[in-house]
Amino acid sequence: MHPQLETLLEIQDLKTQRRELQETASERAMQEEVFNLGADQAIVQLDEKIAEMEDTLPTLTRNRYNRIASRYERVMVPVIGGTCYGCFVSVPTALSSDADRNNEVRACQNCGRFLYLID
Amino acid sequence: MELREFFTEDGINLDLKGETKDEILKELIALLGLDDKSEGILYKMLKRRENLGSTGIGKGIAIPHCRSLVVNRLRVAFGRKPAGVEFKAIDDQPVHNFFLIIAPPLEVSNQYLPVLGKIAQFSKEADVASRLEKLHSPNEFLGLLQEKGV
Ligand SMILES: [Zn+2]
Repeated sequence: MHPQLETLLEIQDLKTQRRELQETASERAMQEEVFNLGADQAIVQLDEKIAEMEDTLPTLTRNRYNRIASRYERVMVPVIGGTCYGCFVSVPTALSSDADRNNEVRACQNCGRFLYLID
Repeated sequence: MELREFFTEDGINLDLKGETKDEILKELIALLGLDDKSEGILYKMLKRRENLGSTGIGKGIAIPHCRSLVVNRLRVAFGRKPAGVEFKAIDDQPVHNFFLIIAPPLEVSNQYLPVLGKIAQFSKEADVASRLEKLHSPNEFLGLLQEKGV
């Protein structure tokens, strides 16, 4: 896997976790009640980790990342069955069925989000 | 929705070998049968979740969990370490039973929280810890879930 793609994926996973804690009341309640997690403190820690990882992106990728992040909540989305799960438009077959998939940083030609290919 | 539906015998290991929290997490992830890269990413995510606060909920049970782009459907696994492992659990006791839950970022059927809730509820039942201790086969584990009606 392309190292920057891996960083982007990790950032996206952390952002998902943060969003769930911040916006999904049932998730927040579960984390607090079952796992005794301090949600607000966890969000601060997640923000720090996200910022730290964003800082490791090279300038060009970082600029693209910032552009996408300013428009969409999710910066990286999966491609499943040839469809971009950000905008739900089909991505070109050459891109989605590449044997060396995820070895390059690719973006959806329709919505611009970074793509992660899974089965 | 029943918990039983989400588990397969391949995803159950009643004799985990790991001696540390990190080794146990890796063994649990391996039960999902993903590629190495995905396993590595999940390990990092689960570690980060544990750093926010242990998922050891007491009574010898832990429920490591996270959402990640590396899976396209909800995945679960169960592992048991009869001798127990230090997991920084809420009650400071060693953990013997581990439920792993990994969900994609977006799910059409929204199963993640209900499954997490059911496992937490199952774990709190008075006889569950001792029943898990006595299991002889993955099939018995599935039978226990069914019996408890979770
Ligand atoms: Zn798109």
